[in-house]
Amino acid sequence: MQDFDTLLKGAAKAHGHICPGQVVGVRMAMLGCRLLGLDTPSAMPQIKKIIVYVEMDRCATDAIAHVTGVKLGRRSLKFIDNGIMAATFVNLETGKAFRIVSTETARDLAPGLMPDIADRHAQQLEAYKIMDDRDLFTVDEVRVDVPASDMPGPTRFKATCTRCGIIVRDKKEVFKNNEILCRPCAFGSYFKPVKGSINEENPQFAL
Amino acid sequence: MRKTPSSPFKTVPVDQAVGMTLAHDMTEVIPGKSKGPAFKKGHKVTEGDLCRLMRMGKNNLYILDLDENQVHEDEAVFELASALAGPGVEFSAEPREGKLELRAAYPGLFKVDVDALVEFNMIQDVMCASIHTNTCVEKGQSLAATRAIPLVIDRHHLEHAVGLARAAYPILSVAVYNPLKIRLIIVGNEVYDGLIQDRFQEIVEQKTRALGAEVLETCILPDDRERISGKINEYLDKDTDLIITTGGMSVDPDDVTKEGIEGAGFEEVHYSSAVLPGAMFLLGYTRRTAIMGLPACGLYHKTTIFDLILPRLMAGERPGKRDLASLCHGGLCLNCTPCRFPDCPFGKSA
Repeated sequence: MQDFDTLLKGAAKAHGHICPGQVVGVRMAMLGCRLLGLDTPSAMPQIKKIIVYVEMDRCATDAIAHVTGVKLGRRSLKFIDNGIMAATFVNLETGKAFRIVSTETARDLAPGLMPDIADRHAQQLEAYKIMDDRDLFTVDEVRVDVPASDMPGPTRFKATCTRCGIIVRDKKEVFKNNEILCRPCAFGSYFKPVKGSINEENPQFAL
Repeated sequence: MRKTPSSPFKTVPVDQAVGMTLAHDMTEVIPGKSKGPAFKKGHKVTEGDLCRLMRMGKNNLYILDLDENQVHEDEAVFELASALAGPGVEFSAEPREGKLELRAAYPGLFKVDVDALVEFNMIQDVMCASIHTNTCVEKGQSLAATRAIPLVIDRHHLEHAVGLARAAYPILSVAVYNPLKIRLIIVGNEVYDGLIQDRFQEIVEQKTRALGAEVLETCILPDDRERISGKINEYLDKDTDLIITTGGMSVDPDDVTKEGIEGAGFEEVHYSSAVLPGAMFLLGYTRRTAIMGLPACGLYHKTTIFDLILPRLMAGERPGKRDLASLCHGGLCLNCTPCRFPDCPFGKSA
């Protein structure tokens, strides 16, 4: 595995800026990989062995993805929207998994480690670089039984929504009122169609 | 190479095993450091593996030599689980001891096409065992397990089983609950007159809330047929999915809830079920709204017909006379202490 400084530099470049979240993410990922026994997770053959569940969509997530090489589109990065600064690192080969949570108390320790830095942001950034893993994180060994339909690899499962006809991949369809439905048809969605947006009145949207 | 005509296994010198499939896990022991499977059953031997295998002291390997009509159990069970698992049912990517456990992907009502599952199990060399149909399940709950019986299954049997399951799809599924809008009518002169305090409201609210529904409105009425019919009609005119009445369902001369419901103009009304507790239960429908008349046993017994029918209405079903009659087999509650429902025979008729 590359050294911390190199990984942090790369993470900051990939994310767009350097911040305490990048430091926490890089260190969390390095610790996760070490616990799983993976030293080159973003290269073959180890790239096929790791899945990471992140529980927040914030800066640290990008850093974790940079260090481990996991990607949403490769199905090796799973987003669980818990709003918790935590990630679980899974070795698919051994079945070992560790959930690492960033501690809130680390913030309180930062001034003591970097008393000469007045800016809180810069203070945390530098302090998190040198803080002991035991102060920065809590770690639990856990078991994650990854369903076959969540595994990386070619699409194995497809269903057709009986209401709108769209193809639903990876067993994300639901059974409601005796119909196999996509989730938008079953539960509604995050979007609302704009009336008249795709019709003859607006030919620019017509495909 | 040695191979018996019918056996899918053979013994092969290690240097001739490249591209062949290991028949069993191969354990590596590094004294004082580690002990574990260096190669798993089903691993295809590569050139790069030869050195390690020789270091492990392996001169010959026990390998699987499958012809085109033979399928290894791990590959077969994945095909079986894929065909059996309908919406809301998922399974692990890794079979354990040849089995795959099927689990609930989300909470809901577990449904089994029992006839199709029996036909599936009639096919040679495959099996699937499930919990009962119409069981309320939580996300992640174990629903069923399937496997190919022998280590190597005839492709013809596998394709037969997969074809049957696909044709009957979905044999196993989990139906989501609809967040029904419920209105509750508590009937009884004694409650209306304040002689006793109602306890039904709390019970109904707790049981409906557990399945994600909401009691929007509650009223208390005396045993008055006209007023019961009137209130039901008022609720029918509102945006109501389910009306629940409590009490007044027995044969006492004061009990008129059944008549009150019948007078409200439902298209379909079924009175009595083959369940104890809950024989004097009423279930009816308009096109838009369902009604349940709960007998007073629901105040005393922890589990009744209400617990069997509510989840099915929540799952969008419309149980009828035959469904209420079919509950007879397994319809007798044993009143165990403590109550273990749903992990008991109550209400488990197919």
